[in-house]
Amino acid sequence: MTTADRNTLLVGLAVALVVGGAVSYFASAEPDGLEKTQADLGADEARHGGVEAPPVAFDEYRLTWLGEGFWANAAAGVVGSLLVLGILLGVGRILGRRRAAEKPA
Amino acid sequence: MHIGPGFLSPPVWASTAALSGAALAGSLVAANRRLEDRRVILMGVMGAFVFAAQMVNFPVLPGTSGHLGGGFLLGVLLGAPLAIVVMASILVVQALVFQDGGIEALGANILVMGILPALVGAAVRSLWRKRPGVLGDVVTFLGGVAAVLLGATSVILLLWASGSLPGSVSLWQAIAVMDVVHLLIGAVEGAASVAVVRFVLRTRPDAVFAGLPGGMEALSA
Repeated sequence: MTTADRNTLLVGLAVALVVGGAVSYFASAEPDGLEKTQADLGADEARHGGVEAPPVAFDEYRLTWLGEGFWANAAAGVVGSLLVLGILLGVGRILGRRRAAEKPA
Repeated sequence: MHIGPGFLSPPVWASTAALSGAALAGSLVAANRRLEDRRVILMGVMGAFVFAAQMVNFPVLPGTSGHLGGGFLLGVLLGAPLAIVVMASILVVQALVFQDGGIEALGANILVMGILPALVGAAVRSLWRKRPGVLGDVVTFLGGVAAVLLGATSVILLLWASGSLPGSVSLWQAIAVMDVVHLLIGAVEGAASVAVVRFVLRTRPDAVFAGLPGGMEALSA
């Protein structure tokens, strides 16, 4: 990894953690555009059988055993951001490795 | 803008899942062709950033909030294939870990928040490669608005096709209600996209256009 790549990783991750871990605590709790539209139109009731993931560790964007406050939200932002980063670096590495393997040695 | 569980009929969620699955597979094949380390890093941090940014709901109208989608922004910075891979990863994590969006609606959500806006972003990307500058800013802003409206309109079409809109409301009324709100959300998406594209292009133009012929010359203007 080059110095520029390392800086990109550190700065980008820092921004993501601050936005997801702290700024998001002050986000609006109002329904989003789709939820509000569904409610306004009278379509706010799910009519088909759907599947929602069980709240194992997180209930919406709150870590369940930290309650409702700042840190429950911060945990969601931090864990979610790191999870996405990890998945993408893993996928990228697999794709990159296949490319490297195709190159003549 | 995540479609929750139970709003899509089986034919609608199954067909959108098939479509998005095929697009994701195609994206992985396309991305595999030429993927440098610096683009992997950029893809990873942009994914983390978009996930985080989606948590920040901002007020738009009384009783209504909006949040960034990010698919458009990723399309500009990464091109369509990688942007689709990133958005699919984010939406899977949101659905499985945070109960944001129905699991059966995952394909539909990847379509409306990932694939469609990423394609709009990728179209704008080619402009940044050829002619960066104020025109790029304007087109990026308008592209962001268009990408959000395209996704919003598509959601209504999917709800309509699923029979989830009440009979008293016409399809056009529903699209109008949805798009008025999302015009405002789209303006924020467009402005945020301009700011982030400018910042990333200033700091890491090589990672944005890595391995693409003509990328660097375009940025010297």
